[in-house]
Amino acid sequence: MTDETNMNTPEESGLDVFQDTMEEFLAAADVRVVYGEPIAHDDTLIIPTAEVLCGVGFGVGSGSGTSTEQNPEKPMQGAGSGGGGGGRILSRPVAVVVASPEGVRVEPVVDVTKIGLAALTAVGFMVGMMFRMSSRRHALPTTDE
Amino acid sequence: MTAIQREIRTGESMKVGDFEITPQTRVLKIQLPGSHAGLIWNRPKAMIVRTADGQKSTLPVRDVTRIVIWGMLAGGLLGAILIGLMNRNT
Repeated sequence: MTDETNMNTPEESGLDVFQDTMEEFLAAADVRVVYGEPIAHDDTLIIPTAEVLCGVGFGVGSGSGTSTEQNPEKPMQGAGSGGGGGGRILSRPVAVVVASPEGVRVEPVVDVTKIGLAALTAVGFMVGMMFRMSSRRHALPTTDE
Repeated sequence: MTAIQREIRTGESMKVGDFEITPQTRVLKIQLPGSHAGLIWNRPKAMIVRTADGQKSTLPVRDVTRIVIWGMLAGGLLGAILIGLMNRNT
């Protein structure tokens, strides 16, 4: 049994991680990400489709310095590097492609919860606006003759 | 390197019965020059169907949820504007 040793410096390892992250990020633009694995059922093939939104950001930095605080005759040198990043992938089903020997059709996937929330927001916005306008009208100053 | 890239990508064709289907996607890439940040928006565009006799048709993949939500937003804004105009006239 042999022990594997990592000969990479921390900077190289960090760069490898960033390179892998960038490759994974660019893979989000592939067609296979949007169209899922086809599901075969008898003669029918079902292909799920999804919308993918992927965002990523990172930064790296390095620096070095010399200190003469402890011993002015013998300056101390130091160097360091660091990096950080973050990202997020959002995926949402859009439709299902049903392909059979009779024909090919696209069945949409409707997110009722999302639509309901959007409807409530729109209605709430309109009711709020009506309420604001009616209260502004009632708040108008009356003129005494 | 351009900051915003739009492209249409075509995937591998699949054979189902007498049909050959080819998926297409619409990709939007945003990368700010000089920064280590980017965004990719990948969504289905259409399915190209080719029959055994060579006829080609395109089936668009429509995002019904998005269409409905944007429709509601537009309706809400339009409704708010109409209420405002009606309120001003009375």
